Amino acid sequence: MATLQADVLVIGGGSTGVGVARDATMRGLSTVLVDRGDLATGTTGRFHGLLHSGGRYVVKDPKAALECIHENRVLREIAADCIEDTGGLFVTTPIDDPAYADRFVEGCRGADVPVEEIPVAEAIRREPRLNPRITRAFIVPDASVDSWKTVWGCARSAMAYGAKILPYHEVLRLVVEDSAVKGAVVEDHRGGEEMEIHADLVVNAAGAWAGRIAAMAGCEVTILPGKGIMIAMNHRLVNTVVNRCEMPADGDIIVPIRTVSVIGTTDEKVADPDDWDITRDEVQKMLDAGENLVPGFREARALRVWGGVRPLFQEKAEGTDTRDVTRAHTLLNHRTRDGLERFLTITGGKFCTFRLMAEDTVDVLCAELGVDRACRTAHEPLPDSEDRRFYWLGARVAAREENLHRDQLICECEMIPRRRLEEAMSRRATTDLDDIRRTVRLGMGPCQGGFCIYRATGILHQVQRIPALAANGSLLDFLQERWKGVQPILYGDQLRQARLDDWIFQGLLDVGHLPV
Amino acid sequence: MSADAVVIGAGLAGLTAAIRLAEGGLSTTLVAKGVGATHLAPASIDVLGYAPALVESPARALPAFTDERPDHPYARLSPRIVAASMDWLRERVPAISYTGSLDENLLVPTAVGVAKPTALVPEAMAGGDLRAGGRFAFVGLRALKDFYPAYLAENLSQAKLPSGAAVEARAVELRDPGDEADVNPLGYARQFEEPGFRKAVASELLSRVEPGEAVGFPATLGLDNHRTVWRELQDLLERPVFEVPTLPPSVPGIRLFRALRERFRQAGGRLVMGPTVVGADTRDVVVERVVVQAAAARPATHEARWFVLATGGFAAGAIHLDSHGEVWESVFGLPVAGAPGAEPRFLPRYLDDHPMARAGLAVDEVLRPIDARGRPALENLFACGAVLGGAEPWREQSGNGLALSTGFAAASHILERVS
Repeated sequence: MATLQADVLVIGGGSTGVGVARDATMRGLSTVLVDRGDLATGTTGRFHGLLHSGGRYVVKDPKAALECIHENRVLREIAADCIEDTGGLFVTTPIDDPAYADRFVEGCRGADVPVEEIPVAEAIRREPRLNPRITRAFIVPDASVDSWKTVWGCARSAMAYGAKILPYHEVLRLVVEDSAVKGAVVEDHRGGEEMEIHADLVVNAAGAWAGRIAAMAGCEVTILPGKGIMIAMNHRLVNTVVNRCEMPADGDIIVPIRTVSVIGTTDEKVADPDDWDITRDEVQKMLDAGENLVPGFREARALRVWGGVRPLFQEKAEGTDTRDVTRAHTLLNHRTRDGLERFLTITGGKFCTFRLMAEDTVDVLCAELGVDRACRTAHEPLPDSEDRRFYWLGARVAAREENLHRDQLICECEMIPRRRLEEAMSRRATTDLDDIRRTVRLGMGPCQGGFCIYRATGILHQVQRIPALAANGSLLDFLQERWKGVQPILYGDQLRQARLDDWIFQGLLDVGHLPV
Repeated sequence: MSADAVVIGAGLAGLTAAIRLAEGGLSTTLVAKGVGATHLAPASIDVLGYAPALVESPARALPAFTDERPDHPYARLSPRIVAASMDWLRERVPAISYTGSLDENLLVPTAVGVAKPTALVPEAMAGGDLRAGGRFAFVGLRALKDFYPAYLAENLSQAKLPSGAAVEARAVELRDPGDEADVNPLGYARQFEEPGFRKAVASELLSRVEPGEAVGFPATLGLDNHRTVWRELQDLLERPVFEVPTLPPSVPGIRLFRALRERFRQAGGRLVMGPTVVGADTRDVVVERVVVQAAAARPATHEARWFVLATGGFAAGAIHLDSHGEVWESVFGLPVAGAPGAEPRFLPRYLDDHPMARAGLAVDEVLRPIDARGRPALENLFACGAVLGGAEPWREQSGNGLALSTGFAAASHILERVS
């Protein structure tokens, strides 16, 4: 069996895991990160893309609110290219308790969340599609954030400092000797080989799956997996993040991100973070909630629905409603908690606070290892964010205009030129079109890959020099993954689009009879 | 406006019905908000390709196929009508020169390299018939992003043909003249109409093709002068040349649309493109007129004795499913058959047989939409093409076959009533 030696082994390639890997590497520790799948495919890649101002939590969960606004300010400094500075609105809609607004303002003041009330007419002028029956409106520094770009930015930075990032490496077992965790045995899902990774300290950043990793070391960590679903709509129905000014509830946020708007979310405890469905009732609930914020919401095209599972944690939390569990994070040092050395579990928290979670983790990690080095992640920008300029909606159009006659547009919806696609395929060294989708947003627009996926398959076959059979498998896998996300929301004009796509894939190309 | 017959929809079904009615002596108006699926689909007439196993002979397979599926549109047609509609099309668009028959499906390559069954293809696609195997070179055009000949050829070389014959296929990538990086199939079709361009392409190819190879191009070989382009390339290359359909816009489909439109005009038909049919006036069970609305214009009406609904299926917006799960036909509000009233409407696997997919209009023996009690909803309204329920055209490879034969049959039923 191949072996690898490092100071730190991080388990989990979501935002928290890559955050820990980057921080630890920047403090001079040799670090290896493993994930059973691609980076950012768990909860991180499955949220609505809201960079919280903290406003949502000021009344119910002030500790989470404080963390959010602190990290909101930090991420604007270090991850500008991943953030669109949309601003946020909290509005009192006809179904909301009018008394909440004053408590909200008071909460914002207490948690240091900048807030300003604006006249309703001004809110409607800014966002003309908002429900005209809102009675109060407040602006806060919410924004939208691209989680994939952020995670890959952290990963690239960590790799530049010397970290080894190993996606598709699943932990089979932890190596536990003399009441200490000494490493892990992992399986490479791509190469099929097993490998033993020895480390001075292991960080369990497996998110909703952290309980399973902890159990491998004999520790009981009960994660409450709280499922939330989100629907991406085919327009910027709003250009500002819009929140209901009310205690957190289902479907009370619309986030404009890239070319779409995402409505979220629900909160339901599930038994298994890998095994749950999106039900028709949940979809209907989201659409009704959308109508309340933006009348006519149901007439817009729903592009895709997905669910994510929050890794909520509370010691002795049995029987609790997941809505009531804190969104602040928890760091478990298993030495003090369970008598097991060299093993930390970081859980809870939110995407927005991943850097702070990583900082807290690496502070304790350094103390355990007797290393004394300060955290620098709050000041050093991620790659492509060095100029501290925010992403803006017209960025891809502007880039396209510069190359109009020199490059092909492979995905028209997301404006992905051929060279950029080929470069992503080579850089990622993957044959999985779904990995490419997350890297460059391939096939994520209104046609959901109807036109670009045939092209991308042909290019993949060419660039990666893979057998046609492998390219066929990748094409069919992509179509199946896409179907999962569109099947529960097929109606109206998006059903028309889906039928057109069927004509292309099944009628014209006859992919159902491809050799595999 | 007043006419003997009004046809709604300008896809293959609507055009077929309209031409036949006009040729039958009825003053006929065709109203359509835009072009139909001709611009999306290859111009091949797929009658029945899978049932669900590969169909070698549609003529032999159809009787059992319709026995098992009494709600399928083909169950409303006699095999004789299907064959007659194919002969009719052949005669009406001689420039496309359709080849093939109901007796035996051809197998032609798709752009991913699947040997797809189809009954009738334009002459310029017939050279790609794979039934007897053979050697093929597939041509990549420099600036066309909608065709990947190496991927196609590798899949095709592994095709398991019913005859057991072998296919040898490879790709030839051309450095054709021009400096634009991104040219769509229609752009290439226009370039091929220039003699200099096709000569340059042929001379580059000549040194790179091998003896015995037929040459497959993406379907871009000219538009209005397609026949000249295709024949000249065959002459210059001294071997069979054929087209492989690729992503929309479909150049062969546009040729078919233009040829049928011309035919309709020659027959004295009146074509109104642009306005949407937004409603109809009915008295008892008779349609008196339809109401149309163009962008900024006042609503107009078209009165007629006979009406043909050829508006397409879900893809065209003719059948609508809303976010609450309600399904309706969009012009007359006709009842839609076969739509599941509850989940599951769609199944978890993409290539599954989805319950909602067969939803559409149920019709009587003469293709009139029927109500829940099985009686004609409107006595002078006939339906054809993808608006009909009971079929899954893309899985069956039956789309253009259904459009053609039901369009043909709807017109026949009207003409019989007139006489």
